[in-house]
Amino acid sequence: MEARDITDKCLDIWRDPYGFARGLKERGERPLAYFCSYAPEEIMHAAGFTPVRLMGATRNIASADAHLQAYCCAVARTDLDMALEGELDWLEGAVFVQTCDTMMRLSDIWRLNTSFPFHGDISLPVRMGEPVSLDYMREELASFRRSLEAYRGAPIAREDLERSIETYNRNRRLAGEVYRLRRERPEVLGGLEGTACVVAGLWMRKEEHNSLLEELLEGLDASDASDAAGGAGGDPLTPLFAAGSVCTTPDLFELARELRADIVDDDFCCGHRYIEGQVEPEGDDPLERIAERLSGRINCPAKHSAAEERTAYLAERVRACGAAGLVLFLQDFCEPWLFEVPFLKERLRDEGIPVLVLESDLQSFSRGQLRTRLQAFLETIRGV
Amino acid sequence: MGDGEKADKAEKERRRIKSTEAMRELMTRYYVDAKTAGERGVKVAWITSGGPVEPLWCFDVIPVYPENHGAMCGAAHMAVELAEKAEERGFSRDICSYARCDFGSAYTGGGPIGGLPRPDFLVCCNNICNTVVKWYEELARYFQVPLFIFDTPFVRGGLKEHAAAYVLRQMEEYFAFLEGATGKEMDEARFLEVAARSLEAISLWKDILSCAENVPSPMTCFDAFILMAPVVTLRGTEGVISFYRGLLEEMRRRVEEGIAIIPGERLRLLWDNIPIWYEMRNLGRLFMEERACLVADTYTNAWTFDRVDVSRPMESLAEAYASVYLNIDLESMLEQVVALAGRFKVDGMIMHSNRSCKPYSLGQFDLARMFTERTGLPALIIEADHTDSRVYDRSDVETRIRHFLDLLA
Repeated sequence: MEARDITDKCLDIWRDPYGFARGLKERGERPLAYFCSYAPEEIMHAAGFTPVRLMGATRNIASADAHLQAYCCAVARTDLDMALEGELDWLEGAVFVQTCDTMMRLSDIWRLNTSFPFHGDISLPVRMGEPVSLDYMREELASFRRSLEAYRGAPIAREDLERSIETYNRNRRLAGEVYRLRRERPEVLGGLEGTACVVAGLWMRKEEHNSLLEELLEGLDASDASDAAGGAGGDPLTPLFAAGSVCTTPDLFELARELRADIVDDDFCCGHRYIEGQVEPEGDDPLERIAERLSGRINCPAKHSAAEERTAYLAERVRACGAAGLVLFLQDFCEPWLFEVPFLKERLRDEGIPVLVLESDLQSFSRGQLRTRLQAFLETIRGV
Repeated sequence: MGDGEKADKAEKERRRIKSTEAMRELMTRYYVDAKTAGERGVKVAWITSGGPVEPLWCFDVIPVYPENHGAMCGAAHMAVELAEKAEERGFSRDICSYARCDFGSAYTGGGPIGGLPRPDFLVCCNNICNTVVKWYEELARYFQVPLFIFDTPFVRGGLKEHAAAYVLRQMEEYFAFLEGATGKEMDEARFLEVAARSLEAISLWKDILSCAENVPSPMTCFDAFILMAPVVTLRGTEGVISFYRGLLEEMRRRVEEGIAIIPGERLRLLWDNIPIWYEMRNLGRLFMEERACLVADTYTNAWTFDRVDVSRPMESLAEAYASVYLNIDLESMLEQVVALAGRFKVDGMIMHSNRSCKPYSLGQFDLARMFTERTGLPALIIEADHTDSRVYDRSDVETRIRHFLDLLA
């Protein structure tokens, strides 16, 4: 496939991920859902499942309102709604990592009201990244591994787990290459296309995704700016950095492009936080190594970080990629992020980084409103 | 004053809970102590309502509770103007209103007691929610003081061994943190004393709540919401024990003399979730008119640890703190709610769907359904917020409650 065909295919998947994932089951794979980038996919993968991410959908709620109040995020509400409406019948089950209070309660609500064969729970520590929580993390992963083994009726072999770790490490390395290209040669690979190629992997078996990324990177190596995937040509685009939890749709990236800007790097949990760090390839205890990678990442805001850690981290990454501003793209009612907003905004502005806060609303999704706000922000940055 | 009026007044006085005055004195003394701590060289720590407070008393640190303060601000109808101060600084109206109110008070010194005394350090335990982690991170940034996080992972089924080990390790860290923060050494004998006093206070509190099992009930849970302040803030001290002994005596006397808090009690109800602080008076009046008594609730029972083993105080306190009502799965919550309904002989349950509290509120629809399936008793869910009265629709809520009570009668 040409690079352009690959990026088109990935964008299509991002536009209709669950339609695509349904196909996995038809092809004989065993899709197992997860919601959070802290899910230990290597273990799920080694057990023979294809981990697939549920990250909401733009839709009206039909059944979930009878179980979840309207004051929690639309990701939780629309995911539950799809399950209750029978639209996720291709799933073998779901794995809940206790990211935040909403996910913690959603797990019980999901288990009580659906009838998927498998249900997994992992209770993450809130002191992620501190040595005191590492043993606990490791044991939670071990307990999760046992529940998967009991469900499939066979232990997960050590070689299989090591092979899955290798596959996922390879995936993160390749995705890292995509990110590097997107930052360094935006004329060859745009933010929209680059992100799409990484995000599409959330609904693919990673072996297949690895081949796809290799093909993409080879294709791009050979290409120059004129025939590149998403290289916009003409005037350079205004570089932006974006952060938040998930981008359910590619709209934010598309709008940036329409407005002659490019999101050259990000801190999304379906983006950079997902591919950050590697599991140590060698060592005695694979679970401990997986726990170490999860702990070593920059924490999701739902976890505890030292006072200025996230601000310093974001400021550094924004500067490193040369972005002219930061867009915080948040889920509605997402307390962990909303608590950080005033401090982040103030501190980054002190450092000369303009910040725009946008809230995603999957139920009454208004592309026009997002566009207007992004346009006004870009005009301020460009001094128009 | 006519004879009828006089009799009315005497009857009202007979029904009034007299210990409320002693509590007001106790709490006033506590707040005066806390606010003048700095002058006396005594350290102040802000701590979450579910946090382990015993170690603080053991190190002579005065614990201060922003949540309790939030409740006071709500009851005094001052929460909204404080929350607005936080909103002006960019905090979304979608974050917990206790937190917004607390930030507003910290910025302005506003509120019924002129704000809380400045903390020397912060202690945050997430057994009640994870909101407090973010809230206390912001406080740590604002006050530039150290923050200790006591992490209690969510419990499904029972507390797992590795989770118990994790919380115990943090209990040890907590003591080391306090040694650093106060420059004092941990005194084991002192700790045992404080822990024993804390358990005694909790056990007295449990006995007091149990008095409401009597028909008619000598108190409502709205009284308990007020009377719980000492067990939340002062458990571990001597004063709280003598106060609760007096209160228990009064409750037992009321039971003996048949003094009902709601004259002509005809319905008994269970309350779920944090009170709607700014609406206590109006709702109290409504329930009085309807002769419905809220005899028990899931909120004040949160401080009734029954598994604490004094022979291993540190482990057992750590485990008790990890397994509180809000940190367990829905089925385990259901067991507790069903048990309360049986013990207190209730006719139904009213659940406050609290916009500010996701761990308490998400799952209530399923809990209500399971509760009815198990007990045959109906449940009503009302929408509100514990301190932000701007989201509260009084006429709608009151109409729904009256309909519900008609249905029960």
